[in-house]
Amino acid sequence: MKVLLMGHPNVGKSVFFNRLTGANVTESNYPGTTVDFTKGYMKIDGEDVELIDVPGTFSLDPKDKAEEVAVAILYENKDVKVICVIDASKIERGVYLALEILEEGYPIVIALNMWDAAVDKNIQIDINNLQRILGVAVVPTVAISGEGIKELTSRLKEARPVEIDDIIRNAGGLT
Amino acid sequence: MKLTIDQRWDLIDKIAKQTITFGEYRHTLKDAIGEFTVKPLTGIPIAIAVMYAFWSIFGSFAGFFTDGFFVRLFDAYWLPWLQEVFPGQGGWLYTIMVDAGGIEGGEFVLSDNCLESFGVLTSGLFVAIGVVLPAIVIFYLMLALLEDIGYMPRLAVLIDTMLHKIGLHGYAIVPTILSLGCNVPGVTATRILETKKQRFIMMTLLAIFIPCGAQIGIMQDVIPGLMGWILLYLIIGYFIFGYILNKIVPGKAPEFLIDVPPYRRPMLSNIAKKVWGRIAGFFKVAIPFVLLGAAIVGVLYQIGVIRFLGDALAPVFVGWFGVPKETAGPLIAAFLRKDLAVAQLSVIEMTEYQMITAVVLVSIYFPCVATFAMMLKEGWKELLGAMAVLAVVVFAYGGLIHLIGILLGVA
Amino acid sequence: MEKKLSEMEYEEEGTVTDIEGTLRKKVAGMGIRVGKRLKMITKQPVKGPVVVVVDEANTSLGLNIAEKIIVEMKS
Repeated sequence: MKVLLMGHPNVGKSVFFNRLTGANVTESNYPGTTVDFTKGYMKIDGEDVELIDVPGTFSLDPKDKAEEVAVAILYENKDVKVICVIDASKIERGVYLALEILEEGYPIVIALNMWDAAVDKNIQIDINNLQRILGVAVVPTVAISGEGIKELTSRLKEARPVEIDDIIRNAGGLT
Repeated sequence: MKLTIDQRWDLIDKIAKQTITFGEYRHTLKDAIGEFTVKPLTGIPIAIAVMYAFWSIFGSFAGFFTDGFFVRLFDAYWLPWLQEVFPGQGGWLYTIMVDAGGIEGGEFVLSDNCLESFGVLTSGLFVAIGVVLPAIVIFYLMLALLEDIGYMPRLAVLIDTMLHKIGLHGYAIVPTILSLGCNVPGVTATRILETKKQRFIMMTLLAIFIPCGAQIGIMQDVIPGLMGWILLYLIIGYFIFGYILNKIVPGKAPEFLIDVPPYRRPMLSNIAKKVWGRIAGFFKVAIPFVLLGAAIVGVLYQIGVIRFLGDALAPVFVGWFGVPKETAGPLIAAFLRKDLAVAQLSVIEMTEYQMITAVVLVSIYFPCVATFAMMLKEGWKELLGAMAVLAVVVFAYGGLIHLIGILLGVA
Repeated sequence: MEKKLSEMEYEEEGTVTDIEGTLRKKVAGMGIRVGKRLKMITKQPVKGPVVVVVDEANTSLGLNIAEKIIVEMKS
């Protein structure tokens, strides 16, 4: 199985990646640059899973070459699951990217990262309702402390492609 | 099924209404600092202070380890020991690997420091480990800190206006600063720019005008007093030629559109990992080239190629650039390693202004071979274009610097 | 009253009413869209970029981009 880690820049994706993967991490090119992606392995239920840390992107309409790389990696890998990392306090634009990925037919789980910051800002998110509407697993996480990471990986196997029509219906239709 | 942009946002608004409630939110200190550092009136002085602090810490840390530790280690122990145990003193292998020595009062004498010995195992190792390593470590450590705190996007916003004039935008500060460590990742980072035109301008300017950490480290060590002038000339050149390139390179220069994330507490493990990765990457490139560079230059000296080139190019060096013809050797070495070239220049006798000119020439005249290879990866057309620009810049700017020197009466 | 985003003053708030066609796609992922509330936090001098708050996030836009976004000011 192969898993892509996707999300906006600066949502803590790399911290996630470092927590999930062990030692045998390979950078595809010169280390330390913003563009090239990192690949590593993790174990889920005894199975070796390849994890790719995709460069941060705001949407699937790339603005620059770094975002082009992100989109290219997604399109290159058809048979994968995607962990979509969203900043919990900026959830709307995060869901924008998640919807785009769902529209492309990929099975996803959503990590609502920096959950603690959202709590501090008094933002309340009805996780159950969000899961019901989107039809995907939504897990609050704090990557820096490791909170929620176990649940996230264990729910990866639930990930299934979702019909956008179903989401629209669950949300009560478009205007 | 795919949605249009408006449908997608419509759907998100519907979902958000049912799942998210925004409570009362008080502005925190962190938000206040965030705004404070991006507003021009307060942000620009803070940015200058941050850069100044960066520079001071860099200089004192690198100086502390190089002068306080490595110079003594290499000059007092390593060099004499190697001069003693390496067989065949005076032979060609000894000259290239250990010490070319010098003639004093008609007699051959061994060098007493690792900058003058010119050997692969002495000058080469000393420059790589004694000078460049401390400089690179502190540079990448501080850069990682600024990145992980979230300061870089704010710096980008503040500097956008200036970079806009040369066809780039604020985010170009990232490849620029990264290049101050090593041009190679700097070239890679130009991918955050949108168009071919912007990437070409950025790459060309990096290769020509941004001295790498290795070069800065050695300048800090051997010619600290002249560094300000050299950097000033390079910065002025960066903007002059950027401005010209923006006018003549076809293509679009789209504007700035970036996210400015809130400040965060950096994670030590993340910083350590980043710094380690960069240093490892740097040394994979630097160590072989610095040693190879020292060896090749040593051989070229031995077989007389450098003397020949020096004589052949003397009119250009002396007449046009106003530097001694002995600088030909270091300029050839500069193709392999600029740090090594500066070290060699520092022991050639010349005036201060000639030294400034020579070091600026070392910086602009050719990117080191690793950067060259990296640029080739981005496309050979771009590389050829950059080389054409480079040839013009070296002659025009080198001559201009000489002219300024003549006008000031110091050349 | 409607204004271009580039003409908004520091601390002013408003709702986006129009974004030039080609730009829509580019700013959509950053949460800037028609109907969204935003607030100006800084403007850099000499035709520099602006920084606005949208959905708790700060986004910086070059002046030429900001000129193509129309905002209905909060009265």
